[in-house]
Amino acid sequence: MTERLSRTALTSAFLRSFLIQGSWNYRTMLGGGFAFAMLPALRRIFTDSAAMDASLQRHLEHFNAHPYLCNVALGAAVKLESEGADAETVRRFKLAVRGPLGSLGDGLVWATWLPGVSLLALTLYWIGLPGWVAVIAFLFVYNVGHVGLRLWAFRVGLADGREVGGRLARADLGGWTSKLQVVASLLLGALVGAMLVGADGLAAAGPVWVALAAIACLAGLFVGHRAWRPAAVTVVVAVAGLSALGLFL
Amino acid sequence: MPIVLIRIDERLIHGQVVIGWANQLRPDRYVVVDDDLAKSRWEQDLYRLGAGGVEANFVPSAEAPSRLAEWRDAPERTILLTRDVGTMRRLAEGGGLAGEAVVVGGVHHGPGRREALTYVHLTEHEMQDLESIAAGGSDVYSRDLPDAPRVDLDVLKRRWKSSS
Repeated sequence: MTERLSRTALTSAFLRSFLIQGSWNYRTMLGGGFAFAMLPALRRIFTDSAAMDASLQRHLEHFNAHPYLCNVALGAAVKLESEGADAETVRRFKLAVRGPLGSLGDGLVWATWLPGVSLLALTLYWIGLPGWVAVIAFLFVYNVGHVGLRLWAFRVGLADGREVGGRLARADLGGWTSKLQVVASLLLGALVGAMLVGADGLAAAGPVWVALAAIACLAGLFVGHRAWRPAAVTVVVAVAGLSALGLFL
Repeated sequence: MPIVLIRIDERLIHGQVVIGWANQLRPDRYVVVDDDLAKSRWEQDLYRLGAGGVEANFVPSAEAPSRLAEWRDAPERTILLTRDVGTMRRLAEGGGLAGEAVVVGGVHHGPGRREALTYVHLTEHEMQDLESIAAGGSDVYSRDLPDAPRVDLDVLKRRWKSSS
């Protein structure tokens, strides 16, 4: 299978995957980036340049998935092409895999890992560590998960090709998402505690801020995400107003 | 009402159906009527990944009409999907879908297709198929998400005719 591909070609495809959103557009979405990442492998797979052009054209077509987890599709497409799979199989594979990779990745990364690691960094800051420590902790922890996920996804795709569905089901990314959300909730609790009683915390800021925080909390609880725009406006106006008041008093 | 949604959508089990429709309709299973998919285990595995833990069955179009009654009578709430208009027409033959709503979801641009809506493109043949489904007693209309307004078949046809 992929023995025909040198390590260099695979490494190059993996490194190029970091730029997969580089030509994002509404018409083909990740298509351009996907073809760009496929190119080092395609150059070695096809000896006939017309066949390579045709394959590259097909990979340029519309494709969308989560930018990290799409490495599953990238690895699997490299394997399929290197095994000489017909164009229809590759097309149908990409068609079937894009939806699950999109929704699993959105849940795991955008809705869990990113806010979770942000909570971790904020908690570190509010328990008294210097700001730069929190920033470095965020960048380090987030990217260990980020690059690790990309690497895992690429290898899984490369190993299992079009059969990757079974492996992804067993990997239970949805289960990991739920577990990480529990940890994130725990961090949120710790962060709220630290913000309440910390040196610059809410408790020291006076009753007006405590009341505002309570109102914001209740508003969030009852109207949730539907109210984020009015809530954001209210908070900005309230903060600006109180700051102005503070300047004059 | 055990078949809670009958929908034509090229993307089959994907975000719009799993988040948009399933959150409101709470299905217990998806039934995908498609001859290619019914034979292809690896593709079934991939589509199942996107179903959010809900059971997904893949049934060939020859078998589907005889199972419609079974799905209607079962306690499980079913979302029935086909990838194309032709498969849905075969399912509707002989009044199999009479009295049901048939929702045209995403059919994207392709050779010979003209735009009826931004998310619905149809060939001459597919438009005839939709009319024959409607003639069989089904309520045929377009709607991408449950909260979006419905677009009736005659409106769909008018827009389709006037687009190049």
